[in-house]
Amino acid sequence: MAWEYSEKTKQIFMDAVQGKPGTHLGEIEDADGFGEHGSIACGDALRFTFRVERHAADPLQDRIVEARYLTFGCTSAIAASEALCTLIESGGYSPVGALKITNHDIVEFLEGLPEQKIHCSVMGAEALEAAVFNWAQKRGVDLEALGIDLHAEDKEEGRIVCQCFTLSEPYIKRKIKELRLKTIAEITGAIKAGGACTSCHHKPGGLQDLLDEVWGRKATSFVPLPEFPAPRERAAAAGVAAATGRPVLSPFQFAKQVEQALDQYVRPQLRRDGGDLELVDVKDTSIFIQLKGACAGCPNSTQTMKLMVERTLKEMVDERIRVVAV
Amino acid sequence: MLTYLDNNATTRVAPEVLAAMRPFLEDEYFNPSSAYESARGASDAIGAARRAVAAALGGVAADEVLFTSCATESLNAALFGAVRANAARRHVVTSAVEHPAVLEVCKDLARDGLEVEFLPVDRAGRIDPRALVRAVRPDTLIVALMHANNETGVVFPIADLARLTKEIDPSVLFLTDATQTMGKLPLDLTGELAAVDLLAFSGHKLHAPKGVGALFVRRGARVRPFMVGGHQESGRRAGTENVASIVALGTAVELAQRTHAADETRVRRLRDRLEEGLLARLPCVEVNGAGAERLPNTLNLSVHFIEGEGMLFELNRHGICASSGSACTSGSLEPSHVLRAMHVPFTAVHGSIRFSFSRYNADEDVDRVLAAFPDIVGGLRRLSPYWDPAHDRPRPEAEPMMRG
Repeated sequence: MAWEYSEKTKQIFMDAVQGKPGTHLGEIEDADGFGEHGSIACGDALRFTFRVERHAADPLQDRIVEARYLTFGCTSAIAASEALCTLIESGGYSPVGALKITNHDIVEFLEGLPEQKIHCSVMGAEALEAAVFNWAQKRGVDLEALGIDLHAEDKEEGRIVCQCFTLSEPYIKRKIKELRLKTIAEITGAIKAGGACTSCHHKPGGLQDLLDEVWGRKATSFVPLPEFPAPRERAAAAGVAAATGRPVLSPFQFAKQVEQALDQYVRPQLRRDGGDLELVDVKDTSIFIQLKGACAGCPNSTQTMKLMVERTLKEMVDERIRVVAV
Repeated sequence: MLTYLDNNATTRVAPEVLAAMRPFLEDEYFNPSSAYESARGASDAIGAARRAVAAALGGVAADEVLFTSCATESLNAALFGAVRANAARRHVVTSAVEHPAVLEVCKDLARDGLEVEFLPVDRAGRIDPRALVRAVRPDTLIVALMHANNETGVVFPIADLARLTKEIDPSVLFLTDATQTMGKLPLDLTGELAAVDLLAFSGHKLHAPKGVGALFVRRGARVRPFMVGGHQESGRRAGTENVASIVALGTAVELAQRTHAADETRVRRLRDRLEEGLLARLPCVEVNGAGAERLPNTLNLSVHFIEGEGMLFELNRHGICASSGSACTSGSLEPSHVLRAMHVPFTAVHGSIRFSFSRYNADEDVDRVLAAFPDIVGGLRRLSPYWDPAHDRPRPEAEPMMRG
């Protein structure tokens, strides 16, 4: 792999790393707008802040005078963050006006980005939206009344299509439309969906189906490779006595395996975020769990965690497992 | 002046090797299968190369060595060939950290209906021999475990693991990918490694050119040919021989035999100097594979809270070639499967960087990295939302993430 970045992208990155004057590294204290996108686990994360000159009477006439970022990510993620701040500061935008800046503007400013790096520009646009949303809350501006729908809620809601990056059907469909994405490669390039295990590419309700649904194309003639079965799934399938449909494992052994899988794969992840989980009961192949600590009572995390726990247990113990959050 | 520290990816061709292969690209262009006297030189040269490789493998029989186009071909030939020759056995054991040339072939075998068990590794990248014992079953066909890991340099105790496998069932084949160890560690297939049935490696990791590799197949090991359509290599690998590259491989192997002892001491000292120097200069870095036996030429370092591609980009500007296991450099969006299998925390898995040495490196190379790298890390950490540059430490809220 050699870098296919434009000269401008490279220059912006180098200036940023060296902290040259005019670059926008940093975080504004008591910012008027604060937005984040991405996570360190996913490989890139952006914290974006801006300060406005407040208009005495009308918040809509606030003007962004300073924009700053902190970014964990690759060359183009850092360059895209710089581009975002430069575009905003030089435009003299109001926060609502700044929403006109799209990921395409960032790509254009950088004089192009490789296809698989488009998600870096999308990350910039998403962090900007989040920061404007934050500003609106602080200033008491009702964005919805202005006809602005920032979809802040739909990322976590709905069926998760890409398990690796936890991206939902409504979010992916919206991005397919907004960014005019026509192929799976373009989706992966723009929002990362399907970029890791690739299992969501061609399964029913997967990325190809979403593309077909949005653009109204007939299913392509592409024949996917048979899915690679995890060893435990097959073991479980083989270990079922055909007549009874019951696992060969004793209930004690089965529960023990569930407990081990939770300890090894699930609990360490939850604990990283200050959460935990209790195994309440095992009834046949239904697993009853309760989330603890920071994860308890958070409606988003309950759904996400249930899916994560279920997926892990299906993979590690038995594909028939069903997880019920208590 | 280039500082090339990516020798686990490929190496420069040794001048001696280039000189040895050159005649077979010029005057000795003949097909070694041809009958006339002029072709004898090519045919003899292949024989000599085969004997050189056989000698380097502990004095195995020359006809146990097949020449291929690369290690990937050798591994494909071994795995697919074993499956086709042993239809009754349908279970394969390998590890989670193999090179894709084994990992992806195993996944492909699973698509064909075989069962594959991927053995896990611990935080240092080591395999638990007990896991291997538990994994092998009556229908196990082959155990495929690498000798040394290309990313971390962690060495598996292949002699023990192969012996153990044969203790459980002598008819289970044992394959090892020695791509990173040929020329670096002793490979005694008539002694310590006598339980190994199949061993694969390539030329371009030991100063021969790309496009040539070899596969050791122990006499009696049941493996069907992978490439069919000619009598070459006793019908076990058809296709006109790549004479010049085979000669190059033989020469490179001989060269490594001669210089190995001196090279190893020197290369290890360079690697250790770099490792100690970077650990002393940088907070929150960890050596991946620390605690395990490692190749003397490899340093895989994880720098917490920054991403690998930016580091490579900056190193490149300083004329330093290295590699990274970060998602942004992998061609996929997933970071290194090896580091993830080792449960390296997410704060570090994207910030891995590998420096790998060869006999052509010198102290100046280490000096240049030591001079450039701390500033590169400092520059990127100032941009990171997880780092407190004023105190040169992680932000308090980010610190617990380091423990994974």
